[in-house]
Amino acid sequence: MEIIAFVNNKGGVGKTTCSKLMAEYLSKTKQLRTLCIDFDPQCNFSHQYLQMEIDPAAPEGLIPPIHPDYDIDDPDDEDWDGRSSIAEIFYGQGVVPYPTYVEKLDIAPGHAEKLLTAESVRRSEVVDKVHKQLANFLNSSDVREAYDAVVIDTAPSKGPLTISVIKAANHIIIPSVMEEQPVQGIYGMLQLWMQESLVREKTRPLQLIGILPNMFKQTRLHKDILKSLQDNAAIGKYVLPVKFSQRIVFAEVDAADSTPRSIFDFQEQHVAKNEAMEVCSYIAERIFA
Amino acid sequence: MSKKKRFGISEALTRGLSETIHVVENNAGIFRNIILPLSRIELDPDNPRKLAIDLTDVRQGIRPDDPLYARKQEELEKLKELAHTIKTNGVINPVVVYKRGELYRMVAGERRCLASLLIGKQEIEARVFNEKPKNFELKLIQWVENTAREDLTLAERLDNMRDIIREYQGQHGQVEVTATLIKTITGLSLSQTTYYLTALNAPEDVQVGIQNGSIRNLDKAALIAGVLSSEVRQQLMQACVAGSSLKALKSLINQQKMIKHHQARLSTSKRGRQTAKINMGTTMKAAVIKTIVDCVISKKEYDKYLDIFSRVDWMDLRQTTHAFRKLIELLEVEMVA
Repeated sequence: MEIIAFVNNKGGVGKTTCSKLMAEYLSKTKQLRTLCIDFDPQCNFSHQYLQMEIDPAAPEGLIPPIHPDYDIDDPDDEDWDGRSSIAEIFYGQGVVPYPTYVEKLDIAPGHAEKLLTAESVRRSEVVDKVHKQLANFLNSSDVREAYDAVVIDTAPSKGPLTISVIKAANHIIIPSVMEEQPVQGIYGMLQLWMQESLVREKTRPLQLIGILPNMFKQTRLHKDILKSLQDNAAIGKYVLPVKFSQRIVFAEVDAADSTPRSIFDFQEQHVAKNEAMEVCSYIAERIFA
Repeated sequence: MSKKKRFGISEALTRGLSETIHVVENNAGIFRNIILPLSRIELDPDNPRKLAIDLTDVRQGIRPDDPLYARKQEELEKLKELAHTIKTNGVINPVVVYKRGELYRMVAGERRCLASLLIGKQEIEARVFNEKPKNFELKLIQWVENTAREDLTLAERLDNMRDIIREYQGQHGQVEVTATLIKTITGLSLSQTTYYLTALNAPEDVQVGIQNGSIRNLDKAALIAGVLSSEVRQQLMQACVAGSSLKALKSLINQQKMIKHHQARLSTSKRGRQTAKINMGTTMKAAVIKTIVDCVISKKEYDKYLDIFSRVDWMDLRQTTHAFRKLIELLEVEMVA
């Protein structure tokens, strides 16, 4: 089971869009059993596949809907309120992934309040526990048997949530807009990559697949910054040779009532679909080859 | 016309990014330096040092009924010296550990840890290996750390070397152990490794001498081990205990060699033309001749020749030669008579 995470502590660089495209590529095109995990308290990734709800009692934000398998009359479900998010791992409860409209694609959605609570943990010994929870969950035999790939969308932070993703993942991709501030976000992520790489066993390295230029526009600014990264001997190796261009259609398919719902359902030769295929197949090749 | 604006990432950021990448590329999964609570460190029972004192003794004091009380007490005194320098200067080199469950197992730096505990330190700087180093690497690290130390006995050092060779053979098969091989493994000089090899292959009595401390130096051990005669070895070891220098031991060996050589000569030499007369040989030391002459004329029956030799200047080689020839002539006459 390969665990792929999109990370960058700068917001708005396209982590969610990239996660979504990658997860759909793996499940729809590669026919891999794929689990999406939304580790961002904003729950945008979850919202792509589920009708997230607003709980009046939880003013912090979104909660997952009632699970389709939940049966209020089933004695087995007696102790369950019918909702399940990935944040349950911090509360010692089971995670029940939700099916999505894509056949081989499941999602463990976020839970705004619960994730925020985990993120705000500060006491060192608890932080340590938070850090290891996701890795423990993904190492469980149930999860390993059920899925071939896990795609994790992360919060724009360097806090405990992102660190726990870094600890659980075996591949990370850093999407970035080719502008000064998002590139600074790359630095933050490389620092986490470094800290984790130094403590990991050699046999299970954390692979940095690379920096993925996203929302790329053929402007001097984007071209120059991309070039300056590529031209650096150390950094250049980690700049992916593929990129996502700035295209409104990537945002359009995110709308709830869009048809088709996935870029991969567009007709052949669609420029956005071709680009998504190129980027995702390149990354998949690196990970699954 | 204004120049077209060019964009790029700042120098500081570029540097930060590439430095971070280099750190990972060069060090991922090998080791890292951290400040480690001393309470998380356990000693390695297989460490070649075989220090008697342990964590409990330092934390709780040595129990008076401990069978090793005297030795531990002595070790404790030595640790106090180290503790004093740690107190003033800190631990200069980080200790080396590897993670073993919840604890960290000591690879090198036992004394630094114990001494730090003695002065009430809570943490120590440590180089942490993420995995247990392979047996061979482990021995080598402990070896390297230990060679710099002076308080290891020769027996401990040889044990250490034996362990390294054993681990090396475990990894590479039963290769022949040569001084060059040991040199490659340990990085010591060829002369040192030759000494080690000789000492390692020393005859039983020398091994015992090393174990009981009669022989404390590697070069002396190698020298004695190279001697074939067990009698001579015994003499040499006694000389060692008596504090003879390496030079003194060497001349003792030479002396023994000559005696042996002489004995061998007397019993052989039957080849070649038949010998009709005796060749008296040559010497550059006039004192040798004077000794012979003195010996002869000190005999009562020859004291009549005393006068002849009393005028010889024994510093003059020519006069001495004449004197010696004269002695032979006189004796030949005496023998005929």
